[in-house]
Amino acid sequence: MNPSLTRMLIALEAQQALVGVDEYSADHEPAVATLPRVGGLFNPSLEAVVALEPDLVVIVPSVQQRDFRSRLRELGVEVLELASITLDQILESMQTLGDRIGRSQAARERVVAIRSTWVDVAREASHRPRRSAVLIVQRDPLYVVGGGSYLNSMLDAAGLDNAAAEYSEPYPRVSLEWLIAAGPRVIIDSSTDPVPAIEHWSRWKSIPAVASGRVVAVPQSLVTLPGPYLDHSLRTMVAAIRSADEVSDAGEGAKLQ
Amino acid sequence: MKVLTPMRTLSSLAVLGSLLVGALMVGLTAGPSGLGVGEILSVLADRDATGPAADIVLRVRLPRVLLGALVGACLAVSGVLFQAMLRNPLADPYVLGVSGGAALGGILVLSLGSAVGLGYEAVPPAAFAGCLITTAILYAIAGVNARVSTTSLLLTGVVFNAFASAAIVFLASMAGLTEGASIFLWLIGSLSSIRVEVTGWVAAFLVFGLGFTIPLARSLNLSALGGESAEQLGVDIDRQRRIVLIASSLMVGAAVSVAGMIGFVGLIIPHLLRLILGPDHRLLIPASALGGAAFLVICDAIARTILNGRELPVGAITALAGGPLFLWLLRRYHQRVLS
Repeated sequence: MNPSLTRMLIALEAQQALVGVDEYSADHEPAVATLPRVGGLFNPSLEAVVALEPDLVVIVPSVQQRDFRSRLRELGVEVLELASITLDQILESMQTLGDRIGRSQAARERVVAIRSTWVDVAREASHRPRRSAVLIVQRDPLYVVGGGSYLNSMLDAAGLDNAAAEYSEPYPRVSLEWLIAAGPRVIIDSSTDPVPAIEHWSRWKSIPAVASGRVVAVPQSLVTLPGPYLDHSLRTMVAAIRSADEVSDAGEGAKLQ
Repeated sequence: MKVLTPMRTLSSLAVLGSLLVGALMVGLTAGPSGLGVGEILSVLADRDATGPAADIVLRVRLPRVLLGALVGACLAVSGVLFQAMLRNPLADPYVLGVSGGAALGGILVLSLGSAVGLGYEAVPPAAFAGCLITTAILYAIAGVNARVSTTSLLLTGVVFNAFASAAIVFLASMAGLTEGASIFLWLIGSLSSIRVEVTGWVAAFLVFGLGFTIPLARSLNLSALGGESAEQLGVDIDRQRRIVLIASSLMVGAAVSVAGMIGFVGLIIPHLLRLILGPDHRLLIPASALGGAAFLVICDAIARTILNGRELPVGAITALAGGPLFLWLLRRYHQRVLS
């Protein structure tokens, strides 16, 4: 009932066990595009789910699906709730899911791969000075990654100090003024707005990231879907920052000459 | 009813004007980044200043405070006008469905715009287009029959608003999570996504609205006696109604398209000022412009600071702060009248 859970099931090669998925998963994952759709986060269809007679319904804990969950349980359908907000939660969820569907080994391998990538990236980053950063989820209204999200761990591993870590929630809505006052040295923009990130932020020259050309655009799905391939997401983000660094350093080098 | 002398008009407007100036100062000083007053003044003195303080004061707070004042003024003035024209104390700027049209236009772009490559900056023009279309429909209904009653106008508004909110619910259920968040904010009303470029436009509509309706103040006073009595006293009710309809709709459309559906300003500021200053529209219309502006700027300053760097939609504050304030004043007024 959630795209990150669907991705986990596909990654664990368990998609043949699926009898239905949520709308978002069906739209974005070719492997499950032909499966029956049973609604989304805000409008799950109890009837559609029950009609498929599933052995198990996997959902993320949410206020929106609280009634949905209790109705399913009343009807005798087993419901597994798997949280996916922090890194530990995601990895634990993947292991729990793997254990439940008989794919423990595959889940363990994925978890180990993600953990070791985290360690590798953090080790590489430790050779360079840490920088402050903000990861933009949405520009207008402005949402950023706060201290409570797995993306905070991702920034940390990449050698970046999340300027919004002071907010404990995963995705706080902050003011533009806060962003300017925080003055991050790197801005990572994962919003889906059609205006390019560098162009959008260029008018706030007083932000060090803008002044030094460290505004990095990353595709939203790659970074912000808490799925089974967080190791790839982390690598992609680090590579994007690295290439922005190289472009800016080359530019500064040229200016000096 | 107290007699309205030029002296009383001037002194009342002077008090409200200084209230607005004070509110603007508070608006410029308040913010999560804790800039000192000295720092703010030095940046204000130098228009070409650079650096974080200049960006915050000149490019974030100043346009927001100015636009907040303009939006507040537009909403309060159109509230007064609708209450007078419809002779209904419950009328607010949104009662005739103009806001529903604007909301529908804006949310159409918010939810489906990204599919056709339209970003957030396309929202205000779309909302304003929605407002113009609604106004045209209302005008046609009011104009077909010269003797159209305020009841038909009110009913048209109610039906149109219901239609628009149903369409919005439909669009919101199709939208993704991020669009859903934007739609929600837009329905409560927020000044956080304002653009400097639109300030001039909103100002133009406010000036236009005030310019056309202040000369009508005397005839609006007479309409309070009822349509027939007013006509016997030489008021052209139909002409008055058409001017008020168009002027207010344009003000509401301008306000809603940049700030979303900020509630309460257009309802309580007119009533509040009527309680304090009396019902004469010659004073009430300009006073509402100043009072509405000051009120919204203060509410937005609270919305920006209360959660430490996080944004709260100003629409939540206007109702939270405005409701109790209004009830308290109403109670005090009744006590005074009874004693």
